[in-house]
Order: sequence, then C-alpha cells, then structure tokens
Amino acid sequence: MTRIKRDLIAYLVIAGFSILMLTWGIPTYTPAHPGYGASPALVPNVAVGIMLFMACLSILRICMAILRNESISAEESEFPEDMKEEAGFTQVGRVKLFHLASIMVPSVLLVVAIEYVAYIFVSFIFLMVLQYAIGCRKCLQSVVVSVALTAVLYIVMRYGFGVPVPGPQLF
Amino acid sequence: MEMIIAGLLDSLSPASLMFVFIGVALGVLIGAIPGINGPMAIALFIPVTYYMSALTAIGFLVGLNKGAFFGGAVSAVLLRTPGTPEAAATSWDGYPLTQQGKGEKALRMALYSSVAGDFVSTLVLILIAAPLAAVALFMGPAEIFALISLALTVIAGIGTNSIGRGLMAAGFGILAGLVGTEPVTALPRLTFDIYQFGSGLSLIPVAIGLLAFSEILLQLEKFTGKVGAEHAANTFSKKLEDRLVSFKEFFSNTKTLLRGSLIGIGVGAMPGLGAPVASFMSYDQAMKRSKNKDEFGKGRLEGIGASESANSAVVASSMIPLFVLGIPGNLAVAMLMGAFMIHGMQPGPLMFQENAQLMYGIYGSLVIASIFLLVIGQFGLRYFCKAVNIPAMILYPIVVFTCIMGAYLGKSSMFDVGVMLAFGFIGYFMRKFDYSYVAFLIGFILAPEWERALQQVVIISEHDTYMFFQRPVAMGLMALTFFVIARTFWKNTKGGKKQQVEVAASAAGEHKGD
Repeated sequence: MTRIKRDLIAYLVIAGFSILMLTWGIPTYTPAHPGYGASPALVPNVAVGIMLFMACLSILRICMAILRNESISAEESEFPEDMKEEAGFTQVGRVKLFHLASIMVPSVLLVVAIEYVAYIFVSFIFLMVLQYAIGCRKCLQSVVVSVALTAVLYIVMRYGFGVPVPGPQLF
Repeated sequence: MEMIIAGLLDSLSPASLMFVFIGVALGVLIGAIPGINGPMAIALFIPVTYYMSALTAIGFLVGLNKGAFFGGAVSAVLLRTPGTPEAAATSWDGYPLTQQGKGEKALRMALYSSVAGDFVSTLVLILIAAPLAAVALFMGPAEIFALISLALTVIAGIGTNSIGRGLMAAGFGILAGLVGTEPVTALPRLTFDIYQFGSGLSLIPVAIGLLAFSEILLQLEKFTGKVGAEHAANTFSKKLEDRLVSFKEFFSNTKTLLRGSLIGIGVGAMPGLGAPVASFMSYDQAMKRSKNKDEFGKGRLEGIGASESANSAVVASSMIPLFVLGIPGNLAVAMLMGAFMIHGMQPGPLMFQENAQLMYGIYGSLVIASIFLLVIGQFGLRYFCKAVNIPAMILYPIVVFTCIMGAYLGKSSMFDVGVMLAFGFIGYFMRKFDYSYVAFLIGFILAPEWERALQQVVIISEHDTYMFFQRPVAMGLMALTFFVIARTFWKNTKGGKKQQVEVAASAAGEHKGD
C-alpha cells in the first residue's frame, strides 16, 4: 500500500468518525442547552467540524490530484524509508502490525489479568513475555530483570508512596 | 518584597534542594539514553510528584527537564544519535571531536554552553514574566478565547508536515479534553455511559500513553537487538587539553553563546517554534559569522556552543507564555502546565497574584537547577556517558512497565492503565501517519479553558455575536489566526510544487508497502 492510499483511508476513517460523532455521539451524550451561555454541544461540534472539514479537504485534494494526474510532494506521497535522502526526525513509516501486537497484546492481558491474579505473578510473567517479544533470549537475564523490576516497583509503591499494588494483595 | 524573600527561602529548603538535585541528575541520565526525552520523562514522573508539595514537585520537574535537555547532547556527541531533534546540531561538531578522542571536551563545552544559555534565559524569565503578566491581566475572556485559538493554530504545525493533519489532531485533542462534566450544566458530557469518564480523561494516562508508551513502541521497532551493540568506545583521551575546556577556549566563544542564548530566548517565548528551531538557527548564525566557516562540522567548539546555548535557553523562556498567558509553547511546558494544574494552580497571569510566594520559589528552583546542572555535569559526566550503552533488552521493559505503573499511580485505577494503553496505541498510529501528537496534547490541555472563555464571552455579551468586533485585541488575534491558517496553506501548496513525484505512479503502487 502506498502512503497516498493509506492517507486516503485514514482521512476517510476520520471523516466517518466525525460524521458519526456529529450525528450520534455528540447529540446523544451531550446535555440539553440550559437556556443561557453557549450550547454544551457547541465546542464539541466545532472540534469535530474542524476534523471533518480538514479530512474532506484532504480527500478532495488527493482525488483532484489523481483525476487531473497532478503531482504531490514526495514528502507526502512516499514513505521516508523509500526516499533516497535522510528522513530526518519524522517517524512516519509503515505500521508493523506484528510488532505492535507483540507489545500491545501482553499489555492488555496484563491489565485484565492483574485484577484477578496477584500483581507479583502477573508482572513477572508480563516482563518475561515482553522481553521475549523484543528479542531477549537470555533466560537468566530475563528472570533477573523481571524479578528485580517487579520487586523494586512493589517496594516503591507499597512503602514509598503508600499505594496498594493492583489486584489481590498477597502480603 | 517579603513574598520574594519567602519564596526564595522556600526554594532553599532541604526537601526542595534535594528534589531539584535528583530531578537534574535523573534528567541528565534519562536524556543521555537515546529515544527518551524531557517531555517523556516529565510525563513518566508526574505521578511521583503527587506526593510532594507544589514547589518541590515543580522544582523536581523543572530540574528533570533542564537535565534532559543537556543529557540529549551526550548521545548526540558520543554516538551521533541525538535523542531529541534539538541535539542534532550538537552532534555535527560533537561527534567529530569524539572521533578525535575529545569526546569529554565536547561534552564539557556542551555542558558550559547549556548552563550559560539556561542561566541567561532564566534571568530574562524572572525579569519580564511578572511585568508582562500584569499587562496580560487586562485581557478579558474574548481575548483569552482568541489567544487560545491562535495558539492552537500555531501549534497545529508542530510535529507534522501538514497543518491540515495538525488541525485534525488538535480537534481530536479538544474533543478528548471535553469528555467529562460540562462546566455550565454540570452534567456528564461525551461519557458514553462509562462512569469513569465522568470526571474526564486524566492528563497523566493520556500523556504517558501518547508521549512515552507510543515512543517505546516505535523505539522497539528500531532498536530491538541493536541498542548496546554500539558502544562509545575510545571516547576519552587521557591528555588534559583533550579533556577540559580552558577559560580561553570558553571565553573566545562568548559572543556565540550570547547570540545563541538570545535566539533561544526569542524562539522559546514564541509558542510553537521550539528548541530544534533555536538550535539550528543559532548554529547557522554562528557559522555565517565565523571566520572559520570551513571548520564547522569537523569538530569546532563554537558549533557545540551555538547549538547548546540556544536549545537550553528555550527551557526557561518557553515558560514566558505559560506564566504570562497560561498557554504552553511546547510539549515540555504543556506537561509542566499539567503538573501545575494537578497541584491546584491555573497557569496564567493570576498566578503572580494568587501564588506569588510559590512563583518566586519556582524562580529560585530554576536558578538552583542551573547551578546543580553545572555541578552534576562537571563531576558526573563520565558516569552519565555509560547510560548510552544500556541494552534495549533491559531498558525498554523497564520503561514499558514504568509507564503502566505510572498510569496506575494517579488514581490507583487499572482503568487509567487501559486509557494509557489506548492512547499509546492511538499515539503510535498518529506518529506513523504524521498526525501531530503535540497538537493533540495541547488541544487536550487547553480545551476546558477555551470552552470556559467562550462561555464567559457568550454569557457576558448576552449572545451578542458582534462581541468580538467590539474588542479590537480579540478581533486582531482572530484575524491573525485566520491569517496563520491561510498563510500555512499557501506555503504548503507552494512548497509542494518544488519537489514533485507523479501521484498517479504512486497510486498505481510503484512502492510496495504493507
């Protein structure tokens, strides 16, 4: 997928989201106008309106360019890794879904599991999985990092800040 | 006068001194690690400050930010891997010196220049913020509304190549900032029947997600299995002249440092420009005015001084719009603004009236942080250099887990951790798709104030739509807002024509991607 196509899809998603918010989200979940001051829906409508307007403008621009066979700057149309010159500090690039999932899935599971299983066990397993996901294959190092970090944060939170760690309290 | 003395004495209390010291040391350490920067560090450590007094907390975070700015130079000089964009210009002359075995000398020059720029900038902040704030007090809600509109427009251009995407991000940020209780009716708004949204989205999980977690997701793509492989070997020569910066060498660059500081102050005081602009501008000016232009980029101390004095001067001067108008000019200040709000203060001109003693205490902490930076850098430089070699396998799991626990710490709620993960996910896509997360965050922070000002305008004017026309300053600011948008669109269109590729070829799939 080229960057132009990807951007077009993103603009369409933003436009769709904006329309959904304008027609359902804001009217349903905003209190009625009390009769004085501005309507509670005014600023949300303006914010979403800006998003919709800019998304439509961008879609229009790309469509016009394609229809007229015009050109768009390389900065906008290509991925930095495709360009010959250095990409500078921009982090624009292709989404690496597998990499993203390898971090996000354990993190989400941690949030869910920690409420049922104790912090110490879940954190230890999470850190082991995380290190494996980012390529660490040194078993001893993984165990040491996981145990040390779990213990340090437990001590800091419990005794430093006086905040109970999440999930069932073992001790 | 009593307030000033009391404030300064507060900043000299043992707790305040200790946390400013810890903040600076941590900042240098964190800044030295490639990929971790000041705003990210502030976001991660704000939850820790819940348990501190307001002055100690702000002093700690200011120290953290100052330290991180200098810390960015460490990886730039030793590895040519600037952790932050503003350190890039430092690497141009710093890294060649490292290759010559003069890495320590380059870092010392960076340290002295940072401290010089920071010190001058802090003095300017102290001298002009309060008088300007007194003038700003004459501004009414119409002017504040217009000013925030202008700030959001200017800031929309940061961190993206397209102001259109910046405005979309700002709009999304405003929308997220409005979740919670509506200020006039005091009824829930945009909560989607999720009771945790009733008090609104907390800044901390949102900021940690967008700044830190999404950054780590990206860093892990690049560094997995690589960080730690690149060691700063053969950095330091044992010869004294290759290690230290002599008085003669330092003072021969006085003009450059002063110019860099003034550029940094000017750029920092204007919302939206930021430290990288100051750093590159100062380097460019130093090169143009130097008699030895050809030596720039080959290891000239003047180049390091120009870059570092300018980017460090931005740290204090970027607080001018915050203290005077209550508007954050860049991401680090936006995070500090969040910290002020968490500790019960609304940044803006009223702070000098309502929290005068605290403000002078903060001024004291700013000066103390500069002194600590010099001391810590002078004696701990070699130790901080080791931070650049921490392996990714150890570092990033620590940061990920700290993000999770940091988000939890605020309200002891796993719901906030979920919010953090959601915004980390959104932030990852925002960065990949070139949507400004800076504009999002500043929109998020300023949205309630923007709405409050609008409500006040409407209520005071009794729905008179011509209110803005009766307020020349507000009208001028709104006109400027439209001018900025129009000018940026025009510039983008003009710029786009310079470098062209056939969109048809691109659309046809010339470049195969995901």
